[in-house]
Amino acid sequence: MPTASSVERRSETHLETYLRPTLFIPELKSKKKSSVLEEMVAHLAQHQIARQADALLEVLRQREALGSTGIGKGIAVPHARSTMVTERAVLLARSSKGVEFDAADESPVHLIFMIVAPPVERDPIYLQMLAQIVRAVRLAPARRRILEAPDFAAIRTLIGTQLSDE
Amino acid sequence: MNSQLLALVALQDLDLMIREAKDPEQATQEEELGFPLSGVEKLERTRERLAKQIDERLLQLYERMSRRYARVVVPVEGRVCLGCFMGLPTAAKRNADSRTVENCENCGRILYRI
Repeated sequence: MPTASSVERRSETHLETYLRPTLFIPELKSKKKSSVLEEMVAHLAQHQIARQADALLEVLRQREALGSTGIGKGIAVPHARSTMVTERAVLLARSSKGVEFDAADESPVHLIFMIVAPPVERDPIYLQMLAQIVRAVRLAPARRRILEAPDFAAIRTLIGTQLSDE
Repeated sequence: MNSQLLALVALQDLDLMIREAKDPEQATQEEELGFPLSGVEKLERTRERLAKQIDERLLQLYERMSRRYARVVVPVEGRVCLGCFMGLPTAAKRNADSRTVENCENCGRILYRI
């Protein structure tokens, strides 16, 4: 278990660098996969991450057609690279009631990390962020704490601590 | 952005997704993280349908340039082509016609304005 000072000293992971308070939806309004994707893309467009929301939404839908990004245990990581994205970004959203997301284990999804990036071939940071999300939420206590965290700052700290513990 | 450009952008994004899903190294990495990539054929059918919506000459131009560049359709920001990062002439033609597109005079990439 790292001490508080060691957590402060260590360098941030790519995932933490991209977690921003403006890119956080504490409680999703939508209950279904298609409308959740819409709600999240609209949030990205509102923050100038998506140039054209409809076009980015279509890319994310195509990515879901390739294979569901609902990886089980209440987690989904929809991700895509698109010409319609201005910069690499991670949008985190929570749903206390859960969303049907065609997840691998068929269970409802409560935490959604949407990763978008411009279409750069073989973008190592993009893949590292995917891996870091999977690591950060691998354990049940970590998932529970993120779901119960009072605010974004607490979530960010939890994720940082979780990644530094590994 | 005109409808032909939008369709081209969608095609380019789809092509990247298909290329990555077929790339053994990239596909293995994603699958090991728990993301299945079993729907490549579905994406290829979608690509075929989308390509049919694009003007034949424009599609041929895109396909030809795809052999040279990973990104054929690129944005223009502040009169700079974000494909080759060269400046565009001030009087560069904006495409009002839905069947024509603007190309970078330096690299030839298809441009869209933000």
